[in-house]
Amino acid sequence: MKKKIVSLCIVAVMTSALVFAGGDAEKAKVAPSKPLSVMIWDSNQEPGIRLIIDDFTAKTGIEADVQVVDWNNYWTLLSAGAQGGSLPDVFWMHSNESQRYMSNDLLLDVTDRIAKSSLIDPKNYPEDIWSLYTYNKKYYAIPKDIDTIALWYNKTLFDEAGVAYPDENWTWDDLYQAAKKLTKADGSVYGFCNVNTNNQAGWYNLIYSNNGYVISEDKKKSGMDHPNTIEAMKWMEKMINENLMPPQNVMSESGEDVLFQSGKVAMTLQGSWMVAAFRDNEYSYANCDIAMLPLNEKTGRRASIYNGLGWAISANTLRADDAWKLVEYFGSEEGQLRQAELGVTMSAYKDTSEKWKNSVPRFNLQAYLDMQDDMVIRPFSRNTVKWENAVLDVMLKVWSKEMPMEAGCKEAARQMNEILAEE
Amino acid sequence: MKNRSLRSAMTTNTFLWGWALILPTVIGLLVLNIIPLIATIYQSFHKTGDFGKGNIFIGLKNFQKLFSDDAVLQSIINTIKYTIAQVPFSVIIALILAVMLNKKIRGRSIYRTIYFMPMVVAPAAIAMVWRWLYNSEFGLINNLFNLNVNWISNPSIAVFSIAIIGIWSDIGYNMILFLAGLQEVPKDYYEAADLDGASAVQSFVHITVPMISPILFFVIVTRMIAAMQVFDTIFMVMERSNPALYKTQSLVFLFYQSSFVERDLGYGSTIVVVLLMIIMFITALQMIAQKKWVHYN
Repeated sequence: MKKKIVSLCIVAVMTSALVFAGGDAEKAKVAPSKPLSVMIWDSNQEPGIRLIIDDFTAKTGIEADVQVVDWNNYWTLLSAGAQGGSLPDVFWMHSNESQRYMSNDLLLDVTDRIAKSSLIDPKNYPEDIWSLYTYNKKYYAIPKDIDTIALWYNKTLFDEAGVAYPDENWTWDDLYQAAKKLTKADGSVYGFCNVNTNNQAGWYNLIYSNNGYVISEDKKKSGMDHPNTIEAMKWMEKMINENLMPPQNVMSESGEDVLFQSGKVAMTLQGSWMVAAFRDNEYSYANCDIAMLPLNEKTGRRASIYNGLGWAISANTLRADDAWKLVEYFGSEEGQLRQAELGVTMSAYKDTSEKWKNSVPRFNLQAYLDMQDDMVIRPFSRNTVKWENAVLDVMLKVWSKEMPMEAGCKEAARQMNEILAEE
Repeated sequence: MKNRSLRSAMTTNTFLWGWALILPTVIGLLVLNIIPLIATIYQSFHKTGDFGKGNIFIGLKNFQKLFSDDAVLQSIINTIKYTIAQVPFSVIIALILAVMLNKKIRGRSIYRTIYFMPMVVAPAAIAMVWRWLYNSEFGLINNLFNLNVNWISNPSIAVFSIAIIGIWSDIGYNMILFLAGLQEVPKDYYEAADLDGASAVQSFVHITVPMISPILFFVIVTRMIAAMQVFDTIFMVMERSNPALYKTQSLVFLFYQSSFVERDLGYGSTIVVVLLMIIMFITALQMIAQKKWVHYN
């Protein structure tokens, strides 16, 4: 009996090996070389990116494999790959890291290819985004997207509390007043939510709307202790201390998106990259909508911190031409329009965002488009992560009510200046 | 004469075969352990450049910085707290379970499988499940028992909550080792003790524990080393925004932050070199102490 089972297993293993080998042989006939390797970090965008790649493969016959690695591990993996000389062929770049990668010659210089390309013309993309991926006047990536920030609100909770929905005339004080009415004493609902680590979509916008800044133009000095910055951040302190936001530990454990998607908070500031996630969640799809960020009464500004990812190619890829074709396609008007209409994200190519607006008719995506009037590029320097983490750690103390905001801002500036001096 | 040359031929032969057989292991050790170890020690004396290029020798500066860094001192305390909470419980509970499951009870292979299960599951998956069990708002633990405890965000208990995950994951593995040890204990010792009127507790303390003391020692040493290197559960369960992180993060966690998030490989290496020394010190102490309580027949 036992013998039979063993021989059965062996037969099974051998036949399956044969089947797989057959499959491989068949594949090899269709595409002579391996697919290009593509690495990204956002699983929400993966289905859309795959569809665009399918279009590309249909056109050119070049295949590409997408691998998604979450944000934290992405950079670990990428820097290990960079050091070991095994980067993926094509991957996303971010302003936090681009300077280091470009200055170490890890990305393919695409300046000449852009000059020759009929599909890519630098004029068609925001200048700020090119600046993120330019080093010594050479281009190292093609802009992929832009993002803006808007205010998400839960219509059902607003209706229950009898508060009018946010509109384009709202000031930050209106938001504060509304949050007060929306917050329930038993802690079941909080009016607002901005965890300390959400800087780009959160409190950075407050600072720049108030004419403050995080880092100086020459990247040498922190602006965290600028009077305008401190003034803006005092608004946040009010929200923290009057318990209009969930306690820091709750925001940290569950995350802003989960709290918002479960009707625990009525308002939150979120970037346009979150649209896909809120669309795919049943509750937020049914109950939530989007408005522009509130206006700063004093300055009349409504700044939106924005960032744009870039499609980069590894400097030592063996298939630079194929990789360039893929990146060129992603950056072309056609690829960018596809990205917008599939609702992957807003596209960097000018005037393509109209398509994106209609990708989720239920949400007022126009709010994100309207935020494009006053855009400020996400503060960055050569080693952004290092000072950003130092600032976040100080802010954690403020958010946990262990330190007043003014002292926190000054301490953050002190630490940030120390790190910038070493850069 | 003839005899001798035959012998020497055989010795050379054995010698070559011996080396051939251990070569894969030696190469593996060299490439995966020894070389990285030397590279790490080398890096700890340098201010490292991006992507391993342009290292600058700075002597003991990294070590000076380390000993005046509050976060490092705190994380040493955290690591020790974790070890003290995790190791004894995972060993004692596993030992008791092993003794119980060594008896002829119904469905004992099912129990053994169940207790061993956590070893088979990926640690990241375990941490993810525990993260949501512990969640103070939506977590099963708080909702089931109607509690309001911030398991993983209260600075004074978070490190112990993490230790509970560690205990739960390790029990099965320890138990299997103890079971193997228990099978070796001759039955007649217990019978003799029984005739002499020894109680179950007495025979456990005076027969079982001394008989399996080599395995007990092995488990304690390896578990201590593993506990001092705790990282994945903390990494998966806690966010940077967590107020309890400072009082929970272990040395390896800090090493990861420095090396791979802030890209300061030099300082990161310094942290693990210190960890290595702490572990070596503790293990050396245990090696000395074993002479007092471990019986190798």
